[in-house]
Amino acid sequence: MNRLTKKAVLTAACTLAALSGLLPGAALAADAAPYKVADGHKVDAQTLSGWKTWRAMACERCHGAAQEGMVGPSLVNSLKVLSKDEFKATVLKGRIEKGMPNFDSSKMVSENIDNLYAYLKGRSDGAIEPGRLQEIGK
Amino acid sequence: MSFTKRLIRWWPCLALAAAPAFAATSDVEQLTKDPKNWAMQSGNLANHRYSELKQITSKNAKNLQVAWTFSTGVLRGHEGGPLVVGDTMYIHSPFPNKVFAISLEDQSIRWKYEPKQDATVIPVMCCDTVNRGVAYANGKIFLQQADTTLVALDAKTGAELWKVKVGDPKLGETTTNTPHVFKDKVLTGISGGEFGVRGRVTAHDMNTGKILWKAYSTGPDNELMVDPAKTMTWTDGKMAPVGPNSSLKTWQGDQWKLGGGTTWGWYSYDPATNLVYYGTGNPSTWNPRQRPGDNKWSMTIFARDLDTGMAKWVYQMTPHDEWDYDGVNEMILADIKVKGQPRKALVHFDRNGFGYTMDRVTGELLVAEKFDPKVNWATHVDMKSGRPQVVAKYSTDKNGPDFNSKGICPSALGTKDQQPASYSRKTGLFYVPTNHVCMDYEPFQIEYTAGQPYVGSTLSMYAAPNSHGGLGNFIAWDAGTGKIVWSKPEKFSVWSGALSTAGDVVFYGTLEGYLKAVDNNGKELWKFKTPSGIIGNVHTWEYKGKQYIGVLSGIGGWAGIGLAAGLTKGTEGLGAVGGYKDLAKYTELGGVLTVFALPDR
Repeated sequence: MNRLTKKAVLTAACTLAALSGLLPGAALAADAAPYKVADGHKVDAQTLSGWKTWRAMACERCHGAAQEGMVGPSLVNSLKVLSKDEFKATVLKGRIEKGMPNFDSSKMVSENIDNLYAYLKGRSDGAIEPGRLQEIGK
Repeated sequence: MSFTKRLIRWWPCLALAAAPAFAATSDVEQLTKDPKNWAMQSGNLANHRYSELKQITSKNAKNLQVAWTFSTGVLRGHEGGPLVVGDTMYIHSPFPNKVFAISLEDQSIRWKYEPKQDATVIPVMCCDTVNRGVAYANGKIFLQQADTTLVALDAKTGAELWKVKVGDPKLGETTTNTPHVFKDKVLTGISGGEFGVRGRVTAHDMNTGKILWKAYSTGPDNELMVDPAKTMTWTDGKMAPVGPNSSLKTWQGDQWKLGGGTTWGWYSYDPATNLVYYGTGNPSTWNPRQRPGDNKWSMTIFARDLDTGMAKWVYQMTPHDEWDYDGVNEMILADIKVKGQPRKALVHFDRNGFGYTMDRVTGELLVAEKFDPKVNWATHVDMKSGRPQVVAKYSTDKNGPDFNSKGICPSALGTKDQQPASYSRKTGLFYVPTNHVCMDYEPFQIEYTAGQPYVGSTLSMYAAPNSHGGLGNFIAWDAGTGKIVWSKPEKFSVWSGALSTAGDVVFYGTLEGYLKAVDNNGKELWKFKTPSGIIGNVHTWEYKGKQYIGVLSGIGGWAGIGLAAGLTKGTEGLGAVGGYKDLAKYTELGGVLTVFALPDR
């Protein structure tokens, strides 16, 4: 990433942070889902990136193709319990002794952690269907 | 003449001729000739999984009962099986790779060994931490730990004698294979085809662990240990030299460095030719568009000189893999009639669904036929070029990324995975545990990050359509003609190594947890429900005049991995193990060895 892009990303992140600071309680509102979905399988570009990250990291090998849990826990359930920060910490730092890898060495995961959260939250909420997704309007 | 008979006849001459050089050779070959022992994971150097014992017969097998049991104290998938040498049994477990030495007299534990391994290896073995058993030679037990450490233990005390690391789990390298002791060397491989690992085999000094040679599956000729002018391969209906850069020219750019071709299967060795035989796994990634070319020498049978490591011949079964049909399955050496002519053959049941019969001395392709009639990704193997004739609609490369190719048979599990077949020296037939599973396969673009999964495909698996509805078959195979002699349907994949015996009984385990005995015609004689699903291999031995049969149960592995919570909810065919969700109705995790014998009169 060049310096200019880095700065832009940083600015965007700060703006987001500032915005959420300005809107306390927004996260609790029912309409504040981190994803947009239509017809169960059409999602916004960010959530689509989240699904692509899920797919690229072969998460289904442990958590199941529908996040239903196999060797790893059901993420449909986990995402009802974990806070977003707990989710991020689990994915990036892993739970090594339980077999969950740390994905902080993956650029794709680090860059898409919010998108991954959005996708899995959508699956956990039952709003997004399992399997292949496409972008809304495309 | 059978392979063993021939060996016995020549043994004194060989020993005499090579006496000085044999000073350091191992006793394991001799030990395997006494059927009271089960001294190698596959019973002998030739991977026969056959026993001359015949106390248990097709007449009395129905009377088999449990003699004793032993818990390993470990969950997850238990592959491989126990070794028996004299009055001692050696049992291993999946990660953390415990080893127990057990007295056959009273089943007391003589010693127990548990290596200290970094837990970071577990996620890299995603999703199961299997191990295919220990090896024995000259008073030593050899264990290939998950974290790639090869360790030698004193068989009497369990004390560590030496250790050597053959890979780096941080790069996705792990190990699941059994070490193979051939003559004076210990050979081992590497796993991690889904992490961009570059496969290789290393040969070690049995007494020190020192690496004597290391031969890669992909890359430049010197690292492959091929001689462009002398290493031969089946070309246009005859054997011809592979020529220079035989691997490099079949890859684009540096992709061969992430080439896969891992080596976690069952090797064999023929003392008469001094050749060691093994297969290599899938090329990385599973998205074929990212690696144009034949991707040599992934998916290949290698025949190497045991002493020098140089390849004598190679044969690639699945050029440019598009389905994850690893070529690592067992290489069985048998002297059989092929199309009427006696041959020193190598028989190999590949993941790709073809049963291959090769001349093991020259490397000539003799037979390549489907060992499941449902195999559809290729119409046949062209016997002149040796290449499978791929059906366009099942070509995941032609269909390209983000296209779901449906109805491909077999699935990525293969018509058979590592679960080793048995060759009966008595009937001349092969008894083969198989999968009867098809798949949908959707590749996608993927970037490589060291130590991260490098798969690049989404799969759905299900029982072969328009068949008996089950996920497996147990078959008898004639390798001389390439024909199925009989086929016994099973509800689930048969993921357990088979055993055939001179008592005309053939044994195998099922994923529900049954150990089954059938006669030479496939008729079921007896079954027993062990504590968990069986992915272990059936072994036999004799102690104090009694024949025993032993098998590890402990569900897990690729097929059994869906057993943990949630799969009963069903995902309508989605996912790698969708077809296996019913398993949860039958069994739970837990490693136990169950030993059987006939009752005392």
